[in-house]
Amino acid sequence: MAFRLNPITRKKLRRFRSLRRGYWSFLLLVALVLFACFAELFISHRALAVRHDGRWFFPTYGAMLPGKTFGLEYEWETNYRDLRASLHPPAKADAATLASAAVARARGDFVLLPPVPYDPVENCYTNQFFKPRAPNFAQRHFLGTDTQNRDILGRLVYGFRNALIFSVWFVAGVYGLGIILGCAMGYYGGTFDILVQRVIEIWSNIPFLYIVIIVASLIKPSLGWLVAINVAFGWMGMTYYMRTETYKEKARDYTAAARVLGASDTRIILHHILPNTAATLVTFVPFTVAGAIGSLTALDFLGFGLPVPTPSWGELLSQGTKNLTLAPWIVLSAFSAMTLVLILVTFVGEAVREAFDPKKFTLYR
Amino acid sequence: MPSPFMCFVPKKVRLSAAPALAAASLFLAACSKPAEPASASSAPAANASSTAPDNSAEVAAYYKAHPDFFVFKTPADLPANLAWTDGGPLPELGSPDRKRGGTWQGRIQDFPRTLRIVGPDANSGFRGYLQDDFALNFGQLHPDIAGPHRYFPGIATQWAVDLPAKTVYVRIDPAARWSDGPAVTSDDVLFMFWFNQSTYIQAPWQNNFYGIGENYTRVTRYDDLTFAITLKDARPDLLSRVLGLGPTPRHFYREVGEDYVTRYNWRFVPTTGAYVLTDAEVKRTTTNRNHITLDRLPTWWANEKPQFRYRFNPAQIRLRVIRETTTAWESFLAGDLDAFGMNLAEYNYERLPDNAPLVTRGLIAKSTFYNDVPRPNFGLWMNTARPLISDREIRLGIQYASNWQLVVAQYFRGDYTRLNTPSDGFGDMSHPTLRARPFDLALAAEHFAKAGFTKRGPDGILVNASGQRLSVTLTTGYESLAPVLTILQQEARKAGLDFQIEILDSSAAWKKVQEKNHDITFTAFNVGVELFPRYWECYHSANAYDQPYLADGASPNPARQLKVQTNNLQSLAIPELDALVTRYDQSDNLDAMRVMARRMEEILYDDASFSPGFAMPFYRVATWRWVRFPANFNVRFSSDALEQNVHWLDESQKPETLAARRAESKSFPPSVRTYDQWKPKE
Repeated sequence: MAFRLNPITRKKLRRFRSLRRGYWSFLLLVALVLFACFAELFISHRALAVRHDGRWFFPTYGAMLPGKTFGLEYEWETNYRDLRASLHPPAKADAATLASAAVARARGDFVLLPPVPYDPVENCYTNQFFKPRAPNFAQRHFLGTDTQNRDILGRLVYGFRNALIFSVWFVAGVYGLGIILGCAMGYYGGTFDILVQRVIEIWSNIPFLYIVIIVASLIKPSLGWLVAINVAFGWMGMTYYMRTETYKEKARDYTAAARVLGASDTRIILHHILPNTAATLVTFVPFTVAGAIGSLTALDFLGFGLPVPTPSWGELLSQGTKNLTLAPWIVLSAFSAMTLVLILVTFVGEAVREAFDPKKFTLYR
Repeated sequence: MPSPFMCFVPKKVRLSAAPALAAASLFLAACSKPAEPASASSAPAANASSTAPDNSAEVAAYYKAHPDFFVFKTPADLPANLAWTDGGPLPELGSPDRKRGGTWQGRIQDFPRTLRIVGPDANSGFRGYLQDDFALNFGQLHPDIAGPHRYFPGIATQWAVDLPAKTVYVRIDPAARWSDGPAVTSDDVLFMFWFNQSTYIQAPWQNNFYGIGENYTRVTRYDDLTFAITLKDARPDLLSRVLGLGPTPRHFYREVGEDYVTRYNWRFVPTTGAYVLTDAEVKRTTTNRNHITLDRLPTWWANEKPQFRYRFNPAQIRLRVIRETTTAWESFLAGDLDAFGMNLAEYNYERLPDNAPLVTRGLIAKSTFYNDVPRPNFGLWMNTARPLISDREIRLGIQYASNWQLVVAQYFRGDYTRLNTPSDGFGDMSHPTLRARPFDLALAAEHFAKAGFTKRGPDGILVNASGQRLSVTLTTGYESLAPVLTILQQEARKAGLDFQIEILDSSAAWKKVQEKNHDITFTAFNVGVELFPRYWECYHSANAYDQPYLADGASPNPARQLKVQTNNLQSLAIPELDALVTRYDQSDNLDAMRVMARRMEEILYDDASFSPGFAMPFYRVATWRWVRFPANFNVRFSSDALEQNVHWLDESQKPETLAARRAESKSFPPSVRTYDQWKPKE
């Protein structure tokens, strides 16, 4: 059976596409997400391709290659920038170096580095002072370095990726819990509804930030922990939307008809009510994502987020605000990136909301 | 290792980043939290007096119940042949050129949570202003004298030591007065023990330190101004253990009882020092907590006393509450704060380099002072009770895989030095030749191989035959030093060692370490100026295990349990070390102790469970032009520029300096100076 969207959904999608601002934002966002997913191809200390002594290596993904793989004398990960530099020594290098480089090049050795040849946790200025350095195109620090000599572009992109992973899990968690509980509250109503409502009211009054601070000070918070804590205190809002939607749909004739036909509760909820509430759910997704990115950044900013030296926007912002006058490029990069992504997400969200506006498509006016 | 010098008022053992890192004020209040409203807990002294409880009977009964500790005699009972001394002639502290007056503009990070100096929350940065830096002790270690420690009189005028009897006799200065009027008497000394032994104060450290038979075995009152204190052990620092004490105002603490913590929460404790919080000021701060001001007593009893007459010069000390360091920095640049600690490289080289206009135009002076104090022992403390780390070869590998040189070069910009032993800075009591192991990947690989870690996994980390990764957790409470750990982590990867960095809240980290749940911790003990280092707390097996050895006293007991809440962070149980520590702690001979201390350092070096980190051999401070210091700037045993109160203010220069700051035209002779008279000669 070919997968076919129902006509109303197709109409909604067409409408979404016609909202230029939201649609372009969506495309740009998808491009950014794809870029972040394959960031290793653009920003990495590992070379994209190395040809050494007639053999090919593609170090980007997979196990680390120790220096001795390429005839160097160390056991730890190869420094590909040095490897490349040894093939292209500066003209003023001594004759032996130039000669051996020429020999190596002649047998076809080469190193292809990504556009930004730095790791986001790597200190890029070995043996030099820790201090932020301004953007430098020659050294391919397109946005400069932070207070620990780490490439800011790398930290932005990998930080974005972490934020995205966080958002995906957060949205999944919040929606999972919210939908299940909200549907159950709306569908079964009565005592169950009242009980869960009270639980939610009590739960909402627990100060979220304190819990995070306490947990973060007691354990080393990993991404999983952060998602868990955020979901644990973020699911309540969704239940209320789902509850009202379910109440509304439950009272409709088609639900009554399904029940008369003998459909089970599960079937009614999954096949009849959920699809009809999808519009509400979908419109909230972008805003939930924006909220998730914002809260992760806030936690990192306050120092209760991901463990060091994980790249994160909040950590960059916090560095930036401490060095406003000394290194304005730090805060500028982090702030611009954050603004851009949040604006894009919001534009998409607005477009989705408008495209899925039930007033446009529903038969009940 | 609690032991501030000067004042022997004990402080809790606590993690200390303070001396090494930044302006003292930057970190001092790090452990304090936002203040609570005063109204709930303050008991106004005025209306309390009518119904105030009086513990006189209770105190008297306590003295009576412990007749061996609290002894009452007459002057006739004083031994006849005591050699009374006042410490002899010593160079005077401070400068005769000093001017009195002016208002010192300082900063605290949080409003104090209490004005008590003992009990919960009392151990905050503000305690320094209430007690540690200002109150007088019976005698004070002269902070400028090279060689053996010498004392000059504070509240005491004279003292006499009876070494065989382990007793120090002290005569109190008849002029000594509490800030609220009464004279200081021997009763305040007896009361000091009652107060600090009392459970009302909720201060376990004090209870232990002053406890009967812990350090002191007897206090004898001869008359109002003469008393004697007998110690448990006759150690070479016997004198400091008595002269370092300060009396406790008997008249003020009459109401101490079950409700001490709340009753005294917002009362200023009378002091023998020069600065007080007036009642008006205490009252004002109940509604306005942006700042707090201490006033100098115009008729301070020690005004003309030698060693004190050129110090404690400002007429007021005004402390603004400024939470953020960057905000404080801006306040300093605006001339609202008189001084700012420049220990952090970022401040010294980026924010206010020597060629900054404010410096070159002579408006702000920069001073670097090489001091000579025991160094906080920053480094990696490895818990030998943990898997992997229990293997000495692994520990040696970790030593060689820790690139402290790079930390010093990169993060501290070569200003700091490598720490060599956990007891550096004790003069000739420190080991003269022992050097910390360098970063050496070949040696690291060799030792890891001996421990069975020969192959590298796909992520570059070594694995042993059973597939175990060479991964250990590195716990710390110093969030501000995270870059140090990042450097160590990155460099250790080259050796195939994985450091899992765990940065916790400072108290949570300390708790984890105290419960010995750490693999490795990056921390330091704050050490005051003492004659010789301490070993029992950190290295004796009694602080590591319940029953460290089997019956033979040497072989490890396989069923031994870790002892928690002690400072033996390495879980060390080495019979030879134990024996040395015991002999060391009983010795009254400094030369013998020196030999033992060096041998102990060698044992610790061989055990390789402490990887020495870095030490800061100096402190730096930036001050506005109207702040003045003596010609030598400061004293040898000082950990920050203000501690000894030798500075003064020349407020006549303030208007023209501030005007020049705005006008950006006028200049004064610049002052960027390094005082290296105490710097060790290379």
